Amino acid sequence: MTDFEIISPATIKELFIVIKKCGKDNFRFGAGYTDLLNELRKKTEPELKIINLAQVKDSQFTGIKTGIRGLWIGAMTTIQQLVSNQIINREFPVLHQSASSLASTQVRNVATIGGNICTASPSGDVSCALVSLNASCEILRVDGRTRMISIQDFFLGPRKTLLNRDEVLYRIFIPQNKPTSVSVHSGFIKVGTRQSMECSVVSLAFHIQSDKKSKIIKAGLAIGAASPTIRFTESACNFLIDKTLKNISESIKDEFAENVVVYASPISDLRASAWYRKEVLYNISKSVLEVNPS
Amino acid sequence: MNEDLEFIGKPFPKIDARMRVTGTAVYGNDIILPNMLYGAILRTAYPSALIESIDISAASKFPGVVSVITADDVDVNNISYKRDHPILKKGEVNCIRDEIAAVAAESIEIARHALTLIKVRYKVRQGIYDPYEALKDNAPLINKYAENKYNNKNLAEVFHYEHGDLTAQKNISKVIISRRFNLPRVTHTCLGTSNITAHFNKTDKKLLLYSSTQVPFLYQRDIAHALKMNPSDIRIIQPVIGGGFGSKLDMYPFEPICALLSIKTGRPVQILYSREEEFIASPTRQPMIIDITTGADKSGNFTFREINIMKDNGAYTSWGATTPFVMMQAFSSLYKVGACSFDSKAVYTNNVFAGSFRGYGNPQATFALERMIDLMADKLGIDKADIRVKNANQKGEITGQGLHYDTCGHRECLETVISKSEYKKIQSLNKKGRYRHGIGFASMLHVGGGAKIYRSDGCGTTIKIDPYGFCIIITGSSEIGQGSETVLAMIAAEELGIELSRIKVINSDTDVKPWDVGVHASRTSFVAGNSLLGAIAILKEKLNKKAAFILNTDFSDLQYKKGKINSIKEGKSIDLDKVVREMHFSPPGELAIASYFYEPDSHFQDKEFKGNVSGSYAFAAQAIKVEVDTYTGNIKVIDVYVAQDVGKVLNPLLLAGQIEGGILQGVGYAISEELLFEKGRLLNPDFHNYKILTASDIPDIHFFPVETNDKRGPYGAKGVGEAPLIPTAAAIANAVCDALNLEFVELPLTPERVMIALRENISI
Ligand SMILES: Cc1cc2nc3c(=O)[nH]c(=O)nc-3n(C[C@H](O)[C@H](O)[C@H](O)COP(=O)(O)OP(=O)(O)OC[C@H]3O[C@@H](n4cnc5c(N)ncnc54)[C@H](O)[C@@H]3O)c2cc1C
Repeated sequence: MTDFEIISPATIKELFIVIKKCGKDNFRFGAGYTDLLNELRKKTEPELKIINLAQVKDSQFTGIKTGIRGLWIGAMTTIQQLVSNQIINREFPVLHQSASSLASTQVRNVATIGGNICTASPSGDVSCALVSLNASCEILRVDGRTRMISIQDFFLGPRKTLLNRDEVLYRIFIPQNKPTSVSVHSGFIKVGTRQSMECSVVSLAFHIQSDKKSKIIKAGLAIGAASPTIRFTESACNFLIDKTLKNISESIKDEFAENVVVYASPISDLRASAWYRKEVLYNISKSVLEVNPS
Repeated sequence: MNEDLEFIGKPFPKIDARMRVTGTAVYGNDIILPNMLYGAILRTAYPSALIESIDISAASKFPGVVSVITADDVDVNNISYKRDHPILKKGEVNCIRDEIAAVAAESIEIARHALTLIKVRYKVRQGIYDPYEALKDNAPLINKYAENKYNNKNLAEVFHYEHGDLTAQKNISKVIISRRFNLPRVTHTCLGTSNITAHFNKTDKKLLLYSSTQVPFLYQRDIAHALKMNPSDIRIIQPVIGGGFGSKLDMYPFEPICALLSIKTGRPVQILYSREEEFIASPTRQPMIIDITTGADKSGNFTFREINIMKDNGAYTSWGATTPFVMMQAFSSLYKVGACSFDSKAVYTNNVFAGSFRGYGNPQATFALERMIDLMADKLGIDKADIRVKNANQKGEITGQGLHYDTCGHRECLETVISKSEYKKIQSLNKKGRYRHGIGFASMLHVGGGAKIYRSDGCGTTIKIDPYGFCIIITGSSEIGQGSETVLAMIAAEELGIELSRIKVINSDTDVKPWDVGVHASRTSFVAGNSLLGAIAILKEKLNKKAAFILNTDFSDLQYKKGKINSIKEGKSIDLDKVVREMHFSPPGELAIASYFYEPDSHFQDKEFKGNVSGSYAFAAQAIKVEVDTYTGNIKVIDVYVAQDVGKVLNPLLLAGQIEGGILQGVGYAISEELLFEKGRLLNPDFHNYKILTASDIPDIHFFPVETNDKRGPYGAKGVGEAPLIPTAAAIANAVCDALNLEFVELPLTPERVMIALRENISI
């Protein structure tokens, strides 16, 4: 276990001061601590400081707000807040389902969306949904300026992001559904042994928008726990454009599933073999086209 | 006796429930004694190695460290029932749990840090992790304390049992089927991790242990032997125990180690396991490879069973090596079977050793047995439910092993789950498409009236009533969460007409309570209940005498109700507390106290393992419905129909607790739990990758108690604790095989195993 000192800034301004003061010291940010404490328990780091983000009072940093072009979610928003948000439930079922499938109520009550992203785990459920939704990350720098990055570009590898060590993930932006979209077929498929407290063995997030003629006009699909980072399966998404969700033939389903699976380069570990992950990914990809869209 | 019962059969919550849910119950992990030190144990870095040197100098000098001990510092005996287990290892280590040194320090952090300062030089050996390899001539000797009583140096224990004429029975068989089954290593995952607090008093040389043992009196004897002390100088106090399930039947090295640290320092010392240490160093269920051949004649009557079991004993022998006692019962006596031949070997390896675990070998045996029944039914073209009913055990039966079924609800249990699951109606289950449905059956037989495996299977009770009308039950039995305290209080309430809130159960101190063999074998309500009834009968004689005198009536007229003793004939009554005061304070003066020792009228088994070993036998059947997702291999256990011959329901709420908890442990055994080892090292010492099921995975459990009123049990009750877990994995496996029309020969049925079976299409 690593011992650490904890510093709790109360405002964004104080946060900047604290970050600057820490300078080259060994420091980390803490949000809900559900990943961080487990990580620190397994190793010993010298002289660690934790900058606690949980006490920062800033309405943009913690809540869910509707903007003109989409939804803004503060990085400190808890997973449980995502679960109970009606707009998310209605407009982005994939995000709602991924949040509901995360751990357990106890964990959801403290774990944050920002923590899920910044951990950059290939099996991050909420992150996987956000990739399928083409979300972007708003990054806050110590000089007070921000930059926007597509969430796909944010992940560099397992536990690696393009955040600089003194940068904070501030907000997440989800573009609203297309104006011509009249129905969305959207959901999160999580594969594991148990119903809760499960880490995805493989996961698939999909968000498919159709127009009034039931033609697919936009599709977002992402796979989790199947490669070093969560992958947006672009060719599978393109493959769906202009197709109609009803009456998809067996061979098209297979072709689609193949288009998803090419993005997978899974590993074998204690929880499953690479073979299993690929096999199941193929099956659940097909299943996306098997249900009747609402 | 059973009419108009006011307490028995009613759903009273556990009398300790409030304490437990509000956090005021004091578990072993909560104990803090003045001046207490914290102990920690250095375990080996390799599962098999020679120890070339141990350097404790840096650890000893570290500020806050009070004592560091190794095998060189102590004069002790080996532990375990075969005395093949050194408390601290010297010269060599043989499994990943092995204790090399221990530290006592002013804080737990210092103790743990000190462990990192101990320098051990190892000469690493290959080690042997496969019992079949260990039996080969060229295998090295694993346990140098082994008795070597068999013809192989690494053979720890051997059992042979037989009844009937195997050859003749084979000759009349229409089907004969053989299989090899592979059962995994699983663990108890008690909520409370292992703990002990030891306090050796340097002045009077007495040792006080706060221990979560399930068998305090055997433990007292064992720890005395280990430490070369007099048992009576050791007092065991059992704090509230955070789960047992059999894991606390053996004594483990950490317990005498803690005592040794206290003896060395003269201060109280506490050792608490972390969860990771709990996974690594606490016991497991026995992994087994079961070779079995079974037969049936053309009408489906079971003819014979031939069983050969390989058990991985690990590096040392625990009670787990004796699980064949229970397996022999299942194989020889569950369903009628003309002949049975059973052999088992427990073989030393460099793996961790297994202990005892709820069911004690029976889940493994029942799995093999019940899978074979489905295979035989398929081959004979007989319905799976019918073949079971046809062969069910019966009241009055004396089995090949000599078990006497004075009462027997086996057939009724089977018929209940067959009808309640509407099995006959659902033959057209979905066997195509993504989600496939299946149903599976399994039964079980288990001791229900104790098990005579020690010299005594008895339990003592002292009961007293104080001058205020409160009743104190001092029982030899132990509470490990199963609710026996509550059942005992209910029995006293029933018999003495005292309300539950006025009854106290004292059961946690070997200096106070009378002898009892321990909490195991589903025995406590039966044995301690009978013992209490015996004590109450004696006490009532005394009370009756006084009350009859005061009320001017005779004994037979007296009735105990709501704190009063009533004379029906005279229409008079007197408060119970008043009678007690009269007894105490009027000459000649007498205490309202009585003691009784109950010993079940069961028998030791003979050298051939035959004999009526229990006072009663419990039966159960389960029918389980599953849905298998062929896209992912996930098994969803949907409905569990369970009928269990409990003799008599003493408390439906506590009974449901045992049933539901047991079934969930069984579901975990069937589909998700497995300790994964690679060359003796545990790969998943955490709840992340050792998957016990969660509240969201609970199937619908439909429970139907079957009451056979065994005259030997208290109010007719039999033991219930282990039974619910025993047939569950078997029934689930049968259901999954039914759903997929495939065969599985190992547990757990993980999604990946299901997918592999589907892909390779290993059809029956
Ligand atoms: C029992 C258990 C079950 C779990 N189950 C799941 C599951 O089913 N699915 C799943 O996806 N995850 C699961 N997790 C992982 C974890 O809960 C999630 O990843 C969670 O969203 C992390 O959020 P947090 O606020 O706790 O992050 P923290 O632990 O506080 O932080 C995680 C990392 O992100 C950094 N960080 C946090 N916020 C910011 C920020 N705003 N800016 C910059 N860096 C930041 C921290 O420095 C740290 O490196 C589980 C964890 C546990 C303990």
